[in-house]
Amino acid sequence: MDENILEVKNLNMHYETISGDVAAVKDITFHVKKGESFGLVGESGCGKTSVAMSLVQLQADNAKISSGSITLDGQELIGLSENELRSVRWDGISIVFQGAMNAWNPVIKIGEQIREAIREHYPNNTKLQNIEKIKELFEMVGLSETIIDRFPHELSGGMKQRAVIALALSCNPKLVIADEPTTALDVVIQDQILNEIKKVQDLLGLSLIYISHDIAVIAEMTERMAVMYAGRIVESGPTKDIFANPRHSYTRALLESTPSVVGDKVKLNSLDGEPPSLIDEEFGCSFSPRCSNPTENCKSGKSEMGLIEVAEDHFADKCCVECG
Amino acid sequence: MAKYLINRALQMFLVFFIFLTSSYLLFNAMPGNAFQSLLLNPNLPPDAYEKTLALYGLDKPLFERLQLYIINFFKGDFGYSYIYFPKSPVELIAERLPRTLMLFSIVNIFAFYTGFLVGKILAWRRGSKSETWITITSVFSYTVFYPWFALLMLYFFGLKLGWLPIGKFLYPEKWYDAPFDSDVIFVNMIWFTVIITLVQFIAYVLTRNIESISIRRNLRFTSFVLILIGSYFYWGTGEALVRRPYAADIAYHMILPVFTVTLLAFAGTALLTRTTMMEVLKEDYILTARAKGLSQKRIRDRHAARTALLPVVTSFIFTIVTIIDGSVLTEQIFSWPGMGQLILQAVLREDIPVAMATFSFLGIFALVAHFLADISYAYLDPRIRIKSQG
Amino acid sequence: MSNIEKEARKKIRRAAINKNWTLFKQSRLGIVGLGIVLFFAFLAVLQPILFLTGVWNEGVYDPVVGYEPERFELLVVECPQQYPTEKYQEPNDCPARGEVNKVLVFDPSVSVGDYYETSLQPAPPSSKHILGTDSLGRDIFSQLMEGSQVAFLLGLLSATVGVALSTILGSIAAFFGGRVDAYLMRQSDLVLMLPFLPLLFIISAFVELKVWHLAVVLGILGGLGGSVITIKSAALQVKVKPFVDSARITGGSRMRILFSHILPNVAPLALLFMVFSVTGAIASESVLSFLGLLNIDMSWGLMIYLSQTDGYIFSGLKYWWLILPAGLSVTFLAGGFYLVGRGLDEVFNPRLRDR
Repeated sequence: MDENILEVKNLNMHYETISGDVAAVKDITFHVKKGESFGLVGESGCGKTSVAMSLVQLQADNAKISSGSITLDGQELIGLSENELRSVRWDGISIVFQGAMNAWNPVIKIGEQIREAIREHYPNNTKLQNIEKIKELFEMVGLSETIIDRFPHELSGGMKQRAVIALALSCNPKLVIADEPTTALDVVIQDQILNEIKKVQDLLGLSLIYISHDIAVIAEMTERMAVMYAGRIVESGPTKDIFANPRHSYTRALLESTPSVVGDKVKLNSLDGEPPSLIDEEFGCSFSPRCSNPTENCKSGKSEMGLIEVAEDHFADKCCVECG
Repeated sequence: MAKYLINRALQMFLVFFIFLTSSYLLFNAMPGNAFQSLLLNPNLPPDAYEKTLALYGLDKPLFERLQLYIINFFKGDFGYSYIYFPKSPVELIAERLPRTLMLFSIVNIFAFYTGFLVGKILAWRRGSKSETWITITSVFSYTVFYPWFALLMLYFFGLKLGWLPIGKFLYPEKWYDAPFDSDVIFVNMIWFTVIITLVQFIAYVLTRNIESISIRRNLRFTSFVLILIGSYFYWGTGEALVRRPYAADIAYHMILPVFTVTLLAFAGTALLTRTTMMEVLKEDYILTARAKGLSQKRIRDRHAARTALLPVVTSFIFTIVTIIDGSVLTEQIFSWPGMGQLILQAVLREDIPVAMATFSFLGIFALVAHFLADISYAYLDPRIRIKSQG
Repeated sequence: MSNIEKEARKKIRRAAINKNWTLFKQSRLGIVGLGIVLFFAFLAVLQPILFLTGVWNEGVYDPVVGYEPERFELLVVECPQQYPTEKYQEPNDCPARGEVNKVLVFDPSVSVGDYYETSLQPAPPSSKHILGTDSLGRDIFSQLMEGSQVAFLLGLLSATVGVALSTILGSIAAFFGGRVDAYLMRQSDLVLMLPFLPLLFIISAFVELKVWHLAVVLGILGGLGGSVITIKSAALQVKVKPFVDSARITGGSRMRILFSHILPNVAPLALLFMVFSVTGAIASESVLSFLGLLNIDMSWGLMIYLSQTDGYIFSGLKYWWLILPAGLSVTFLAGGFYLVGRGLDEVFNPRLRDR
């Protein structure tokens, strides 16, 4: 149970744009244990999705992974050829996309789109076997069998999202990445989908990476988590520990800005300012301009960023730990 | 759906009516008429000109003639050609149309197929060296000055190398004692082409749902070989054996025009396919397809190209009229006696019945093509298909 | 206040232009196209300057009536009856360059092997006529320049007319919808039904087609045809954008919404159309001159028409200066505009961009 299904070490990735290189992922290190769900949280544009896409190396054409290592179940993924990667995709790591967006090809039937994924990784299956498999998956996520012959636009947002989950599970992946799967849905459906993911995870013992900007969802869904800010992980550890004892001031700010449904009404603290531009050279702690009580060391760049262990399996950025 | 079709048909009829009227007025606005050359002949009696005009009804006022023409048109009477007198425009079209149809259907099939293929590759190999060179070639062939290029091709292959005949669609000496008309052969060849295309298409559709890629490819190849064997037997037996050398003669004359026009016509499709494909490649579902671990070829052909096909097909059908238009020039350069030359002569010599008949033929053709474009768009895109049903 | 606002607007505009230029530079072929277009524009402007400054004498270099009896020393030869011989491969090779056929010299005192001084038409390129002269002794380079003036005038004028028409009609069709839309769509059907070349034949029969007449006719035909449909679908997408609704709610008149909200937003597409339709207009003009239908003194199409009617086009590359410059000019200028359009497409359409 304690085995790591995924290990990411010192991953660096940047986008080459006409206005310069944008370092979207800086020195990221984390691991996911088998059967565990791991959360990745941060505001929009902090590099969460870039990390997810780097794992399967589906980044945009102008994105370059400059260094680091990604190991899936003992297999190194960096440096694999496109063909080798193809067999890792979906079979090793699959992704739950935002189904309400354009994850489905509008002119191909849902069933056919799932079937072609299975066909790619299990070429010896007969058509009947594949269809049986899809029916099984649909039952698991609570969809009727008739959806197989439907086109994507005939489905509601929630149904599409369920179908996306079925698609992600179709090849029995070792690891599933859920990339903000509920963002475009309304709250009721959102809750249903989250329950669905949870149910499926329990049922199949899936390893899951859950990506969201909503720290409340992360608290509900995950056992361990990491907080990202401006392309870096600033704090990581067991979800409980982080919620009980946040060590980084950005994590604290995130927690303070989230309303609680139970308890008294309290005034929420919103975080002022903007995240730093990722093009500029880093100078000191990247969070210091927005930090509520930055020290001189943070601002002047005397201390470099980097994670240190503050409690068992609980890491936080060292400059912030030092100052507060 | 039915309401839409009826509404659309009514509008089409109205447009056609206006088209008919305005073309008739346009032709009559041209100065002079087809019989003015009679005035130049001093041997004819002085009233011959007036008599001829009266014979053809040209002495009546314009409005009356227009009325008569339109009534007769819908009765199915198109009058007689002024310059090929005893023949009616329908006979002339029936004689010329197969020749044009044969040439341009082959050109269009080739041009569309290669264009789509090249465009697909262009979008896929974005940013590579080969992309730049293929693009430059395509842009050159898209914008090259057509008659100039065609004449150079004629010079090079016809005169300099002497491989291919210059102009004409057959060697007259070969046909001197032929037991049948060239049009019979043309019609025969058209049917032959249509049938083998259909067979290939059916084979393609039937094998579409086969799960294993290698079996599908093998089956398609087998069907292709079977078609080849079948056509070998067809041209080797019975009546077709007699026709074979004549058909071969026509085919030989067709090579150069087909090659030249294809070379120029593929580029438009290729460049459009490239743009459309590139837009499609940015869609999220392409990312999904890549994440699923599908092969590059499958993503390109099944996911990207199929979606990109819709706008390309539509615009292709819309340009069919332009292609026939281009036949005027092509037939002039390659001395190919088809519809294009018929229109040109009719217009230049003011043979109004023939000109009107050819114009309205093209008009109906264009209307039907546009209508089909709408329908095929609706068929190929399930999003629209649903909408028109509901 | 308004001064500050003006400054700010200026700044924003400048930044936008800078950004678009950077994006345009990304497409190398777009830059190549721009280079080609500028080169021909330079040729078009250069000719009147050469005449005005007196570098070129109008009597000699005028593209239509210029003539110079250039004297050449030619070797008199006798063309053989049968080919191939040692010297000549085929009938086309005799007389070779610098030679003249004895039969064509109407001077009994000259015999084979002599040198004979004569004027030569068409004359090959020389230092005086850098692209040679045509069969009437007129300077080809000067004709090329005149032709590029014609091409620019016609291409830009017809594109402007066509795009202005189709943008306004397309926006109106999208904005008002209903009957107006149905009428405009059927009208463009009607225009698309007419075969283009024969129609121009008819028009040229009762109107004397000069360059700008043709430009306007081409513009109207293009502007009423298929491009209305495309512009309309683009305008429909703009029409449902929130800012149009907000303009309506705040009480903007229909005309104001149409002209200040919808039109500016279809303008990039219209510009694109314009650049592409220049390509079409240049080709159409050349085809019409090539068929001898235009009442025009000089153009690239006419140059090819002349070289064809005089039979030079089938003599291969022996008279290349009669065949290649004009044909390549048409091709390159049309291609140049096309490439510029493609570059602009990548600026305006973010989905075509690399990064």
